[in-house]
Amino acid sequence: MAKVYNWQIGREMEYPYEAARPKKQFAMVMDLNKCIACQTCTIACKTMWTAGRGQEYMFWNNVETKPYGFYPLGWDVKTLEQLGVQDLGGPVYRGKTLFEAAPEGERVLGYLPEDMDYANPNVGEDDCTGLMGQGAYLTLPHMQWMYYLPRICNHCTYPGCLGACPRQSIYKRPEDGIVLVDQQRCRGYRECVKGCPYKKVFFNSMTRVSEKCIGCYPAVENGRQSQCTITCIGKIRLNGFLSTPDRAREDNPMDYLIHIAKIAKPLYPQFGLEPNVYYIPPIHVPPAYLTQMFGWGVEEAIKTYRRAKDDTRLLAALLLFGSTPDIIHRYQVEGRYAVGYDESGTEMVRVPLREPIVVRAVYDERHQAYRTNVT
Amino acid sequence: MRNRLKPFVFIGALALAGAAAAQSPILAPRVPGAGPILDPDAAAWKQARPQKVALLPQMMAAPRHDKPAVAELTVRALHNGQWLALRLEWKDASKSDRFVTDQFGDQVAVQFPVRFDPKQLPAPMMGNPGGRVNILQWRAAFQRDIDQAEHHALGAYAHAIVDLRELYPNAVVDLYPDQVLRATDATPYMGALGMDNPISHPKLTPVLDQMAEGWGTMTVKPDQHADGKGVWENGAWRVVITVPLATESANSPRFEPGGQTLAAFAVWEGGNREVGSRKSWSAWVPLRLAK
Repeated sequence: MAKVYNWQIGREMEYPYEAARPKKQFAMVMDLNKCIACQTCTIACKTMWTAGRGQEYMFWNNVETKPYGFYPLGWDVKTLEQLGVQDLGGPVYRGKTLFEAAPEGERVLGYLPEDMDYANPNVGEDDCTGLMGQGAYLTLPHMQWMYYLPRICNHCTYPGCLGACPRQSIYKRPEDGIVLVDQQRCRGYRECVKGCPYKKVFFNSMTRVSEKCIGCYPAVENGRQSQCTITCIGKIRLNGFLSTPDRAREDNPMDYLIHIAKIAKPLYPQFGLEPNVYYIPPIHVPPAYLTQMFGWGVEEAIKTYRRAKDDTRLLAALLLFGSTPDIIHRYQVEGRYAVGYDESGTEMVRVPLREPIVVRAVYDERHQAYRTNVT
Repeated sequence: MRNRLKPFVFIGALALAGAAAAQSPILAPRVPGAGPILDPDAAAWKQARPQKVALLPQMMAAPRHDKPAVAELTVRALHNGQWLALRLEWKDASKSDRFVTDQFGDQVAVQFPVRFDPKQLPAPMMGNPGGRVNILQWRAAFQRDIDQAEHHALGAYAHAIVDLRELYPNAVVDLYPDQVLRATDATPYMGALGMDNPISHPKLTPVLDQMAEGWGTMTVKPDQHADGKGVWENGAWRVVITVPLATESANSPRFEPGGQTLAAFAVWEGGNREVGSRKSWSAWVPLRLAK
């Protein structure tokens, strides 16, 4: 295996291929404090890409409830159990990645889900960790909790699916880092389904080959954000391009959120794939659970997030979520506005940092009616 | 991992070299007739001497299966002056010919050097760069498609509709894009089927005619020449793979009555989750065609 550098775990690690970072890297930030599991993203993706034969239970985008929701059933806890207890206590991960923990004769540690594991995509929906007892009151983190986790393919820098494929049917595009299964070359061995710890490569039993999220590449090629991003009614997502930490640009909203403010964290960084979907952790969930899921630095991320109103740049980046269907390559604060620009430098969107507060009289003279706060 | 594999490479190569030396040749008597020899139960097979071929687990390339189920293949060969046929038999308690995520299909393959030169043999394990091999692979799933299409008197293209109900008897689907869109507009919704992937595409034959020059290079040839038929009965597969002695293709071997070549075999027991490089395979076995 080759030695490659994974900045999310702060060290070099083993990978079946030499490092070859793309010119630009497709990335997404999702604010888990805002997701309400309405599944608009899921349906936008479904109708766009997976309405065909053999894709009946295939969701390239899904939203599951944590801690008891899974699609497919038990995907993360099964992989965590296989990997065993690891030390997540610092910026440099000293435990084993899935490549380093691969057993003899395998390229990556993983398991193949059972077909029926995909049968209940909404299992565990809204299930809380427990009941609220007599005398319970509001605390942070909450006494009992759950949250929603929207998931797409992470378009990893070191994809497990790509590393696992014995015939190089999976490739990572040099122009934007999107990971694709070559639909002409794949022979349906399902090594990728086994090798992806996020279980975001799916087997199509009608075409008999594997399929996965394509990062809406036709949109991305034209400067548009993905369907799941632009249809999100909660405006929880921002889709753009992420630099490596040594090249982080303060005026790239993705870089600012992930590398500078450090409020968005990767999903299970200990797996070692350097996934490129980042999550702003939910503030009401106990840090121990969040650390297992999003790695070291979660508590600091929550503190920074809660102080966002004091950091204008951070606030501006957060306000760009869901503000435009276009990919924002550069942004800046101009007076009272967060302004986003496309790759050519054209202004795409202008969002007020603070919505004006309007105080209306209780009695409406024109309609001869009292105003109430109902509705 | 490369380092960890080294001892296995060494042991595997030794074991296969030993097997090759010990292997008696497969003899293909000439029988009357013309055209492909397809029937696994044809009377002519009585003239062919059964030859046992030992199979070993594929241990050289990751990923691998440490305990593949099939250790022995019984091979018979025949030719009629136009077509060569091999009948391959092995014990398999479970017939695996349908796919869902966690189910794999039974398969068998025979491999020939594209150019037979005793001084420069391609590697028995899928060839090597410059040492091209022709691999004819029969798949139980393709056989099932063909048998089903015949059974339902459907065109080969209808197999997908049959399959869903068989895999999931209670499946309810409102609408597929290909039911409301013109064929060209529906193509993007058909994945590999729309891309004419030879693995997905409905078949007229259960045998894929392929070539390779080493691991991971298996390529389905644009020109398909092989045919075959497999029958599962009493816990065993009987599969015939047949191919013309000579074709126009530069990537097909040329066989001659009275000539000789080599053949190697691989078997996948789908019920044991054998797929791709997780398989058992044989060393080169001499194959002689009667005059």
